[in-house]
Amino acid sequence: MIQNLRTEVKKLLKDKKVDIIIGWEKGSLPLSSTPAFIQKEEDVDRLIFDETCRNNLTTYLTKDKRKLGKTYDKIGIVVKGCDARSIVLYSIEQQIKRENIVIIGVPCNGILEKKKILQKTENKEILESKIDGKNVHLKGRDFDLTIPLKDVLCDSCLTCKYPDAPVHDIFIGKPRKEVDIKDEFKNVIDFEKKSSEERWEYIKEEYSKCIRCYACRNVCPACYCNECFVDQNDPQWIGKTPEVTDSIIFHLIRNLHVAGRCVDCGACVSACPVDLDLRIMNKKVEKEIKERFDYTAGLDINEKPAMASYCENEKQDFIMG
Amino acid sequence: MIKVKKSEFNKFIENLQENYSVFAPVTDGKATAFKKIKSADDINNKVLNTKRSPKEIFFPQSEVLFQYTKEGMEVPKRDEKPFAIWGMRNCDTKSLLMLDKVFGEAHQMPKKDMYKDPYWKEKYDNCLVFNLACNEPLSTCFCNWFDGGPFDKTGSDIFVVETDENYIFEAVSDKGKKFLSDFKTAENASDKEIKKIEKLKETAESYLAEKEDISSLFFKTKEIWDEPIWDEIAAKCVNCGACAFVCPTCHCFDVSDEGKGNKGKRIRLWDSCMFAIFTKEASGHNPRSQSTQRVRQRVMHKYNYFMDNYDEHLCTGCGRCVVVCPVNLDIREVIKKIINY
Repeated sequence: MIQNLRTEVKKLLKDKKVDIIIGWEKGSLPLSSTPAFIQKEEDVDRLIFDETCRNNLTTYLTKDKRKLGKTYDKIGIVVKGCDARSIVLYSIEQQIKRENIVIIGVPCNGILEKKKILQKTENKEILESKIDGKNVHLKGRDFDLTIPLKDVLCDSCLTCKYPDAPVHDIFIGKPRKEVDIKDEFKNVIDFEKKSSEERWEYIKEEYSKCIRCYACRNVCPACYCNECFVDQNDPQWIGKTPEVTDSIIFHLIRNLHVAGRCVDCGACVSACPVDLDLRIMNKKVEKEIKERFDYTAGLDINEKPAMASYCENEKQDFIMG
Repeated sequence: MIKVKKSEFNKFIENLQENYSVFAPVTDGKATAFKKIKSADDINNKVLNTKRSPKEIFFPQSEVLFQYTKEGMEVPKRDEKPFAIWGMRNCDTKSLLMLDKVFGEAHQMPKKDMYKDPYWKEKYDNCLVFNLACNEPLSTCFCNWFDGGPFDKTGSDIFVVETDENYIFEAVSDKGKKFLSDFKTAENASDKEIKKIEKLKETAESYLAEKEDISSLFFKTKEIWDEPIWDEIAAKCVNCGACAFVCPTCHCFDVSDEGKGNKGKRIRLWDSCMFAIFTKEASGHNPRSQSTQRVRQRVMHKYNYFMDNYDEHLCTGCGRCVVVCPVNLDIREVIKKIINY
C-alpha cells in the first residue's frame, strides 16, 4: 500500500499536477507521526500511512492556517475518511476550490489513541513499538506488552461509519466500504440517561481541566475563523482565566459553532494536552442534528448544510415546546 | 547527608506541613501537576515530569493582582505559611532560577532591569525546594544539553535521592542547611548508602540520549534570523499554546480587567507568543501576523534573547513540549536543524 502511495505521489509531482503534497511522515516519538509537506520527488519516500497517522491534515488547507511559506495553487493531500469529510465541508463553505485539491484516499483501519495506550502501560514510558496486523507491541524499561489494536483505537474510530474518503481523486489500496456500526452514539445515549446534576458535574469536572491553550481549536478543521471570538478584545466576549466558568463558555460556543460541521475526526481529543473529554458534547450535538435534520456532515459535496438550510417538515419541537 | 525511611515518609510530610504549605506532584483527574496537598497520601512520587509545570505555584495561570471598588483597592491576602515544594526535578528547579531573574532578585544585570515583582517574590523568596533526583529519566528528557542532569542540584535547597528503602537528603543552600540541622529525628545516611547514590546517578545518566553540542545555538539563531528555514520549521505548527503553557520557563503574561457594576479586579494571565492576538496592536496592525514569525519568536526568545539578557538559554530540556505538541513539532529537532543549517 505504502509503495503505491509513494508511486502515485511521485507521479503527481513529476507531472506537475500538484505543487505540494501534504501527508504524514514518521514522528520523533514512539507511535507518533508528524505532518509532512513534500515538494520534491526525492522526499516522497518519507511518506507513511499507518495507525499512528492521527492528525487531520486538512486543517492546513484553510486560508489562515496555510502557512507553508506561500500560497500554493494545487495541493495534493493524503486523507482518511474523516479528513476527506473535512474537505467536503471546506468545499461547501467555499474555503477551497475543489478542483485545486487532489485528494488521495488511503484505507483506514482506525488510529491509535496514545492516551489509551498509556493507560495500558500504567503511564510508563514506551521506548519501542511495533504495529503488526491486529496487535501493537510495546516495550519499555521494565515491560513488554502486546495489546490488540481494537483496545487502543480512538473512540472516534471505534464508531466510525465512513473510513473511506467519500470524495477522492485517487484511492490507494482497497476501500473498506461497508462498516457495521450500530451504536454510533453510545457514549451520548449513556450520558443522556444520567440525571442533569450528574451530567453537569461531569461537564464541570472535565472543563475545569482546560488550560486554554486552544490546541483543540487550532487542530480542528472546522475552526478556521480568521479571528476566533475568544481572541477578540473589543469587546472581550469571555474571560480569559482557566476557571471553569470561563473555559466552559469557550467550549460550549465552539460546540455550537461546529454543529453540523464536526466530522468526529477526533483531532481535538488527541491534541488536548490535559486529556479533556471533548468528544461527548460534539457527539451530542451531532446526534441532535442527525435526529432533527437527518444530516451527517461531510458526506455530500452538493448537499446544503443542516444549519444553512430550511425544510418545512423539520421537527420544530425545540421552538414550539 | 541524612535519611528518612520510606515507611516514615508520611510522617516527614506531616511534620513539614506544620510550618509550610506543602506542594507536591499529584495526579489530578488524568493530568499530573504540582498541587497543595492535604495529606502525604496525595503525593505521586512515581511521576517524573508532571504534565503541568510547577511554575504555576509561583506564577499561576491567572492571578488576581488587586480588587477594586469605588472606595478603593485591595491586594488579595496570600497563604500565611511559606511554601515547601516536594519532588521537583532538576529541570524545574533550574527554571525557577530563570524566572527569578525576570521577576525576582537574581538579576544579572541590575542596571538594565530592576523590576521586582512582589507577587512572585512573596512566594518564591520564602519557599523551600526539595529536588528529587530522577532515577529513570524519560526518552524525551534533554536536560544534559543545557548542562543539567538527573542528579544535578542547581536551584534546589535540599537534594533528595530515592533509594530502595530510604530518601537520602543533602542540604544544598543555606536555607536547606538550616532546615536539615533543625531536623532532629533524622538518622545519618551510611557510607554504603552514599555509594549507592553514585551508582544510581550513573544508571540515570546512561538513560539519557547523547548530549548535543549547542554552543553555536546563540550565534546561529541570530545569523539565520531572516532565512527561509523558519518557514520550514514553522510549517506544521498550528499555533496553539500547549508548548508554552506546559513549559516551566515560558513566562509571558497578559493583564485583563474584569469589572462588573461598581467593582472589579485586575488579573494577570499566562499568554503565549504562539497566539496571533499576542502582538496585535490597538490600530489592528499585527507585527507578528504570520505563524512563521511567531514560531521564530518563541525559538529566539528561548535560545537567543534570554541569553542576551541573562546569559543563559530559557530552556531546561524538560521535554514537556515534546510530549504535548499535537503535531509532533519536536524542539530538539528544531535546535538540531538550526545548528546544522
